[in-house]
Amino acid sequence: MRGRRILAAAVVMGVLSALPLGSVASAQESPSPATTGEPVTLDVGVDTDVTSLNPFRICCGIDYEIMGLMYDLSWNYNNDTLEPAPGIITEWEPSEDYMDWTLTIRDDATFSDGTPLTAEDVAWTFSFIVDNQMPTLSLYFPFKPTFEVTSPTEVIWHSSQPTAAPDRNASLYILPKHIWEPVTAEDPYSAARQYANSEPIGSGPFTMVERSRDEFIHMQARDDWWGGQPNSVTDIVYHIYDNQQTMVTALRNGELDFVDGLNDTLWTSLEGQPNIATHKGDGGCWGNIAWNFGGQDEWPGGPAPGTPTNDPVIHEKDFRVAVAHSINRQELVDSVYGGTADVGYAMLMPGTNPSWQTEIPEDIRYDYDPEMANQILDDAGIVDSNGDGNREYQGNELNIEIMAITNVTGSAETGQFLQGYLADIGVASFLTNVNQSRAYDLWYTGEWDVYVWDWCPSPDPNEVLSYFTTDQCLGWSDGCWSNTQYDDFWELQGSQFDKAERKATVDQMQLLFAEEVPTMVLNYWSDLQAYRTDTFEGYVPSPNNEQGLLLFGWTDTSYMELEVVGTGEAAGSSTGLSAWVWIAIAVVVALVVVGIVLSRRRSNAEEA
Amino acid sequence: MGTLGYIARKVGAALLTLVFVMALNFFLFRIAGDPISQLTRSARLTPADQEALREDLGICQPPPGEARCSVIGHAATFPAYLRETLTGNFGVSVQSGDKVTTLIAERFWRTLLLLGLGTVFAIVIGILIGIRGAWKRGSFFDKSTLYGSMTLYSMPEGWLGMLLILLFGSLLAIFPSSGFQSPGNLSGFDQVADIANHLFLPVLVLTLGYIGEYAIVMRASLLEMMGEDFVQTARAKGVPDRLVRRNHAVPNAILPTFTLVFLSFGFVVGGAIIVESVFSYPGLGQLTYQAINTQDYPVLQAVFLISSAAVILFNLLADILYGHLDPRIRSA
Repeated sequence: MRGRRILAAAVVMGVLSALPLGSVASAQESPSPATTGEPVTLDVGVDTDVTSLNPFRICCGIDYEIMGLMYDLSWNYNNDTLEPAPGIITEWEPSEDYMDWTLTIRDDATFSDGTPLTAEDVAWTFSFIVDNQMPTLSLYFPFKPTFEVTSPTEVIWHSSQPTAAPDRNASLYILPKHIWEPVTAEDPYSAARQYANSEPIGSGPFTMVERSRDEFIHMQARDDWWGGQPNSVTDIVYHIYDNQQTMVTALRNGELDFVDGLNDTLWTSLEGQPNIATHKGDGGCWGNIAWNFGGQDEWPGGPAPGTPTNDPVIHEKDFRVAVAHSINRQELVDSVYGGTADVGYAMLMPGTNPSWQTEIPEDIRYDYDPEMANQILDDAGIVDSNGDGNREYQGNELNIEIMAITNVTGSAETGQFLQGYLADIGVASFLTNVNQSRAYDLWYTGEWDVYVWDWCPSPDPNEVLSYFTTDQCLGWSDGCWSNTQYDDFWELQGSQFDKAERKATVDQMQLLFAEEVPTMVLNYWSDLQAYRTDTFEGYVPSPNNEQGLLLFGWTDTSYMELEVVGTGEAAGSSTGLSAWVWIAIAVVVALVVVGIVLSRRRSNAEEA
Repeated sequence: MGTLGYIARKVGAALLTLVFVMALNFFLFRIAGDPISQLTRSARLTPADQEALREDLGICQPPPGEARCSVIGHAATFPAYLRETLTGNFGVSVQSGDKVTTLIAERFWRTLLLLGLGTVFAIVIGILIGIRGAWKRGSFFDKSTLYGSMTLYSMPEGWLGMLLILLFGSLLAIFPSSGFQSPGNLSGFDQVADIANHLFLPVLVLTLGYIGEYAIVMRASLLEMMGEDFVQTARAKGVPDRLVRRNHAVPNAILPTFTLVFLSFGFVVGGAIIVESVFSYPGLGQLTYQAINTQDYPVLQAVFLISSAAVILFNLLADILYGHLDPRIRSA
């Protein structure tokens, strides 16, 4: 009996002693894959899976990253300015009256199934979006244009009014007509939204070769992409983590090369770690508080017509300015975002909109000054006349309904701070924390006065500027703010073809927006990234400035430029036991079980 | 009451419970909010489009002028939900547009493997520890396993998981820290080994976390049994201690543990939300967690129904087998 145990122990010890040999030894002895032609895999950690593989259903960061690798854009982004750059469309020339634009389509692009990409695909994609008014995307096509294919490499964009839209980042994924037209033949809108597109066919530099939902997405570089192949990377695997701590551990132990979207605590913990570098880039969104100006009673699904849906004091500019003065933006950055965000004033951000920056003057920044806030309210007659510590407006006690959204970064915490700031200026409030889905319910019914949310602008200002026009009430507008001057500016910038003239108008809009504070820009978020320095080098920020992101930016430059360091594998990374070790363990376990059974049988027999 | 009557009574009660669970699932997930609002925040989606979307997803149409459906409004769609559910159609995910049955089928076996292995290991080891501890009451083994299993049982699974990731994934660099499999379309032994590597840490957490439960119950039950007359009689007759334990004490002491085991298997299908989350394990627990966050009603309804049905089924099996093992139960 004892002999068998010693034998089993020896086998186990033998197995265990062989454990580390697999991964470490191979990492130390293998030659560089770049020299052997072996696959070079970039392992990226993210905390969400793609929402969908259907370009008409995507919404969030990783969605755009994956789509951008699988599909070519109509126009790419210039990595320095984020202005339109040649993509599938290589040239775009307007007619003299700006009613027609001639788009030249590149003649060397093919889809991953081998079908050539032609002007037909471009025209079909654009027409589909316009004809079916696909949400968000149709904003890139004002005046309902039509598209005429004049040759396999030429499309004419016909507009009913002069337009500069083709020169304003109408960067859309070009879909293969031969796949999507049959799919959307009947009931196009619903069919396009419901199509799973589980095996996407695109013309981009990578194809998706493998996906395990909520676990990983495996992309492989195409060898026939018109733009050439990446310098080193042949494969990208996006590993999806529910738990950021686990993701950071995987980066530390070399399972991952790059991680994105870290929270500030974990990101800070990685600073100064061996073989790891951290990077803070533009998060692409600004946090805000937005006032509800009412109007939800006009919505078909809203409350009965005539039902008040907000506190009337919100229409008083003095009130909004006073609240703005009560808010300490820097405190929010430090306390809510751990110092990793930046104080912001304008809706066009330095990282996303580098060509559209407007300096907001100090007098309309409404910086933190509670004394001034109180003074403004007193001067406006919004006072505490009954001495209960709370101000009144038109004879009614103020009680502002704050809505915070629990699954929006920093919203709940900012909501708590806002409640304190309002209390400091004698304004009572109550805070409702809801998830995003519930927030939309309340948004429709107007059961809120101010909410804490965010906006994420595109490089061209047209889209984000449009959100605050009167037309967008009950559409994309936060709270149905309506200002005819702002609306006029928006129309004007849409028809200005000279970049400098348009910039001047956009400046006016930003200043008016800051002065009227229908929505108060609080801070610009950061995307916190980290990467191993002993596996790959040569990340190129997008845009190519301090705020640019190393991956998940506006271009896929990094994937193309990265170079392998050493073997491309971190020493000591854990890949698990080999099949032979598991077989040995199984044999040992089986031997032990059989031994126990035999031993019991023998002892039973002896006792009998 | 005869055996058939006993079984019929238990099956009837199980079916009634199942219908109650279905009704509860249906109404519970419609109270929190309206998913259509989230999907349609666009002026370009007309009320007619929204109506069509609601019809597609089987979600109640609010009456004119109302933002949400009343309970009565939702109740009107309940028969359709019942009909579709009973025919195996759980609808499509509000978030991804995928069929719910596809989402569940992808994860079902992974969860079954993870929870099944963890539960089986915990049961076997826990029972063995409980038996030996009770038989050697007060010994070093008894004290150390009792305190050890109590400590593990009271330890948060998430924290234990993080500790094991740091130890095995980072310091020793032996096992991967997350997922179910590696990319690369592996097959054969390589695939089995790869899955075993990924399962090792989460299964270890579940095993360590649940051992205490079985060990404590088994130990207490056996200690009680050891004082019984028939055990004393067997000893007085000179039956070897080992056989007294194996043939007289343990078979009678294992009945309470038997119930616990069946209840545990009932929960296997529901998934382990915390463990699956820590190890980013793509199972049903993770699916449930994501569906809760996104108010994905069709997915939530299906997952809760399946996991509830599993618990009801295993309770039923436990009742029937217990009735067989201990006839006194049938007449109770």
